[in-house]
Amino acid sequence: MTTHPITAPIDSASEFHKIQSRPASIEVKDITVSFKTPKGVFTAIKNIDLTIKKGEIVALIGHSGCGKSTLMGTISGMTTPTAGNVIANGSLVKGPGPDRGIVFQNYSLLPWLTVYKNIFEAVDSVFKDKTASEKREIVEENLKMVNLWAHKDKLPGQLSGGMKQRVAIARAFAINPSILLLDEPFGALDALTKGSMHIELLKLWNLDNRNKTIVMVTHDIEEAIFLSDRVVVMNNGPEATIKEIVDVPLARPRNKKEIVHDPEYIKIHDRLMGLLFDKFSIEDE
Amino acid sequence: MKKIVSFQTYLPLLYGLGSTALLLGAWWSVSLLTNNEIPTPLMTWAVFSEMLSTPFYDYGPNDKGIGNQLISSLLRVFSGFGAGSLLAIPLGLLIGSSKIAFRLINPIVQILRPVSPLAWFPLGLLAFKAAEGATVFIIFVTSLWPTLINTAFGVASIPQDHKNVAKAFGFSRWKYITKVILPFALPHIITGLRLSIGVAWMVIVAGEMLSGGVGIGFFVWDSWNALSLEKILSAILIIGTVGLLLDKGFDWLQKRFVFS
Repeated sequence: MTTHPITAPIDSASEFHKIQSRPASIEVKDITVSFKTPKGVFTAIKNIDLTIKKGEIVALIGHSGCGKSTLMGTISGMTTPTAGNVIANGSLVKGPGPDRGIVFQNYSLLPWLTVYKNIFEAVDSVFKDKTASEKREIVEENLKMVNLWAHKDKLPGQLSGGMKQRVAIARAFAINPSILLLDEPFGALDALTKGSMHIELLKLWNLDNRNKTIVMVTHDIEEAIFLSDRVVVMNNGPEATIKEIVDVPLARPRNKKEIVHDPEYIKIHDRLMGLLFDKFSIEDE
Repeated sequence: MKKIVSFQTYLPLLYGLGSTALLLGAWWSVSLLTNNEIPTPLMTWAVFSEMLSTPFYDYGPNDKGIGNQLISSLLRVFSGFGAGSLLAIPLGLLIGSSKIAFRLINPIVQILRPVSPLAWFPLGLLAFKAAEGATVFIIFVTSLWPTLINTAFGVASIPQDHKNVAKAFGFSRWKYITKVILPFALPHIITGLRLSIGVAWMVIVAGEMLSGGVGIGFFVWDSWNALSLEKILSAILIIGTVGLLLDKGFDWLQKRFVFS
């Protein structure tokens, strides 16, 4: 092991293990979520335990309807668990809060507000004590960070999918949360845009000294490995549980082009494929 | 190719001429069939152009120009419509956003909505002790329902996505109303207003027949008493044109507030 202090960037595989000695950012404790439906009670996820460390990037992966978004909802506070609880930054999650920034699956920008206003309204809500000029500064800084300052006066309808997602990410970063929750953030983007968004996201994470904890829901194996430190594989619902947590001890910064040839990457990829498609049957997929 | 393009350009004009010819043709045949008891378009035109040449004369309570009649009708419509909208929009916002309010108020709306606005006229007389107030009152009642229902529908159909944004970033109630509810519901509200003003303009004619005095509806009734069918037909054309303009105005407004 190296003797680097904990504040040094986590650049190597051996540094990875240091994450585990960091304080917990999110603790999911024995969470069960059930919904009442006309057909009776539907339990989406059951008895889930998960601890995520500060500065860690974790991907939740699984088939459609496996409850990964539900699990995410309990962390963001948008979903109230039926049993169990979630501790974020040491306090019990009772609802959404400014310590957790959310990037929604479908961008969720308000279509009647300009790019600038979309971010400003969020900043204005969260930083009630800051002056108007301080708030404007935050908006400007975050819009410039995602290279959208030139488009600040456009309405979301005038932007491409990738640009909209960048606005949504800038909005989540603007409230400076310690935890960033991304619900299938790049699902609707084409492969090329997706790739550059991954790099953009990591760039923003780096700018913040890798202090933000990122939890991401995805069903893209490559995306999950490229971005995360751990991949949480979920069983198929109903009553979904965690099937296995796969470590991704790949060195950072990671190179999109080269990483796919890394034997370690291939090993993790195969493992995840095996976990997600373990039925060896064409009919099941 | 060029020929087709120019033909396409004149197509709306040709259709316009076609429908005018159709209307005049039908009108003329009715005139012929009734031995001019229903005056011909030409006879009507003579009276119509005379009415339009001096629209604003005032020779006492029973003899005013068509412009005066129109203005007093429009004033009544807009004051009743304005007051009705001022009540209907906030109430619609409330019904649309609260299930409790919806379940409490919706039955009342459903019972009152099908009632002809004219049935409120006596109550208006009782309340205002004057026909003028009563007429504005029935327009007020008329304007309530379409705006109320459309506003409530607009608010109730706010997508979960938009609500999530407000929830995730902790919007205050005021911010939620002004930045989410109102902008989303605005096109629906304008649709409601457009329907309301349409019905109000229809009801004012009947209302003024009851109230008397001055106004386009009174003018129609007065012309019937004077047995001037030319004036009645002219008034019908004017009522139709003004109604169309009101509708186009709100149509224009609606198009300005559509979001993708």
